[in-house]
Amino acid sequence: MRRLPVYLLLDTSGSMIGEPIEAVRNGIQVMVNSLRQNPQAIETAFLSVITFNSTAQQIVPLTDLTTFQIPDIRATGVTAMGQALSVVSNCIDNEVAKTTAESKGDWKPMIFIMTDGMPTDSLQNGLNELNKRRTAVVVACAAGSGADTNVLKKITENVVSLDTADSQSIAKFFAWVTASISTSSTKVEEAGQEASGLNELPPPPSELNIVV
Amino acid sequence: MVNDFMKDEKVHEIYTSIVELETEIMKKWKIQTLVTAFKNNGISTDNGTEKVPYIYTFPHNFLEKNNLIKMNCVDLDKFNLTYNQDTMTIEGTPEVKLDDFFTIEFLVDGEEASEIKHQKQVKLLINPDPKSLWKDIPSDTNALFWKEDDKSEATKIGEKSIVVSSKRGRSHKNVGSFRDDDYAFKYFEDSEWTIVAVSDGAGSAKFSRKGSEIACSETIKCFENVAIKELELFEEEFNQFIDLKEGKQLEQAKETAIKAIYKVAVHAHTEIEKIASETALESPKAFDKTKILNKADYFHATLIFIAFKKINNKYVFLSFGVGDCPIGIINKDRTEAKLLNWLDIGKYGGGTRFITNREIFSSKERPIVSRFNVYITEDFSFLFLMTDGIYDAKFIVEANLEKTEKWLEFIADLEGRNEDNVTLDFSRDLNQLEENLNNWMDFWSKGNHDDRTLAIIF
Repeated sequence: MRRLPVYLLLDTSGSMIGEPIEAVRNGIQVMVNSLRQNPQAIETAFLSVITFNSTAQQIVPLTDLTTFQIPDIRATGVTAMGQALSVVSNCIDNEVAKTTAESKGDWKPMIFIMTDGMPTDSLQNGLNELNKRRTAVVVACAAGSGADTNVLKKITENVVSLDTADSQSIAKFFAWVTASISTSSTKVEEAGQEASGLNELPPPPSELNIVV
Repeated sequence: MVNDFMKDEKVHEIYTSIVELETEIMKKWKIQTLVTAFKNNGISTDNGTEKVPYIYTFPHNFLEKNNLIKMNCVDLDKFNLTYNQDTMTIEGTPEVKLDDFFTIEFLVDGEEASEIKHQKQVKLLINPDPKSLWKDIPSDTNALFWKEDDKSEATKIGEKSIVVSSKRGRSHKNVGSFRDDDYAFKYFEDSEWTIVAVSDGAGSAKFSRKGSEIACSETIKCFENVAIKELELFEEEFNQFIDLKEGKQLEQAKETAIKAIYKVAVHAHTEIEKIASETALESPKAFDKTKILNKADYFHATLIFIAFKKINNKYVFLSFGVGDCPIGIINKDRTEAKLLNWLDIGKYGGGTRFITNREIFSSKERPIVSRFNVYITEDFSFLFLMTDGIYDAKFIVEANLEKTEKWLEFIADLEGRNEDNVTLDFSRDLNQLEENLNNWMDFWSKGNHDDRTLAIIF
């Protein structure tokens, strides 16, 4: 079966302590619970969580929704966003099956990045790595005024922003990510291909501004 | 002086009791620390799924690592699970989906077995059975170009028989949309030709359900009205070849045949264009996608068809294909399978072609003539036409359609080697066969819930 891999790259730096990190944890919980009710998502969507603070690490490998367990996320340190891009590139190499003449590989992965700050490491190496990988849509979300959408624009043309990194806004972001995964899990079977841009995902809620 | 002071019996007694109290407090403090540590330790057991046997064994060093001397899991009844203290295993078969907690009762190092037990809540998730999540919403019978959700037939066609079934996929049932697949066939008693057509409407095209219907029905119509007559010449030329065995004559005959069925393919294309323009005039509002200029694009559908007849003790097959639906034939003694068409499959998604694409008739990369095939054989056991709803699940990749063993596995699956224990007995009566095929069509395959159409000639 062709899996639809979804990578969540989440900023867990010190500035996320308190309400924001709680909101992220809840966001994942609500998202997974909701996707588990969707017959197409529960079969095809596979989820991985990569967090970045002073370093970046994959805290949940690519896992199907029925076995997925909410990871223990804590906020600390600075914002190694560049490293997170390298980590996700490696994960794609190791986890996403390629199509061969003998077998159909996985669908191209969807990547959602959420940050409330500026990268404290160099973005370029990680970005070069990520650009070499075949991905479906890559969305970056700037949560609050501390994040720089211009930096995120270097990673992907699909950038959205939240005015504040409070629990309500973050919940809205996760609800939209949930809808996007649901839509994509239907689309891959119906149309035989992945979503490649924001225009193929559900319209974002009003709290989520599309950065052009 | 201190020694004298300690020698005082009263003082000594008090001192001893202070030390004892201190030890007692420290012991209690240590216990309290261990209890708190275990309560705060994020413990998770595997998630389960309703109606699927569940088993979870705690790691062998679980007690030691958490400084426990004893533990028990209670409150598991609501999950329909039990706990075995000796093996430290939770097991059973959960009956219903549930997102709840169970309780671990425990004692930590330093506690007496008789002391009050501590409790810790642990989350346990029982997922719903994925199959139960699919809805079955009927399609809107008042909608433009509505068609029945499922359709099937079985009948004799000359010396052979046909059984065919077309079913609306789960992904369409789930949202109440239409069956986009279709089929049509006809056996002409006078000329002894049979023609079978199968089409898969593009999921992204609004009226593809009608596109596939027209593609099939017009194929039959044009074959009857135009091609059969023209194929008389083919038959003459073919018989001459049989008599004289000259390759040149066979080539001539093939050319005649292809010319005849070429008209059928063109007709199917033109008819869809015609109905698309007519519909656009009648219901312009229905054509609401500003990016689509060509009205026929609302009707995108693939098309495969095959006409066959026994001539001079040989079966002659004339086929055409556009899109990704295969036509496969298996020889009489089931030792060799052959794919009769090539599939429009593009690695980057753009490879799909439809009978509605005008450019297929003038393409340089994929010449129209390569879409036709003339195949001649003594006899055959099975001839299959199917849409990707079947092929994706059962053959997975295009390369497998070239492999005899994969076709033989497919036949074995039909004849009973399947999870649902559905058996198609091709020697039994046709009504029963049709019913069994309809049941077989409901096979479960993760990620494959498209419409399914399968025609079997045997």
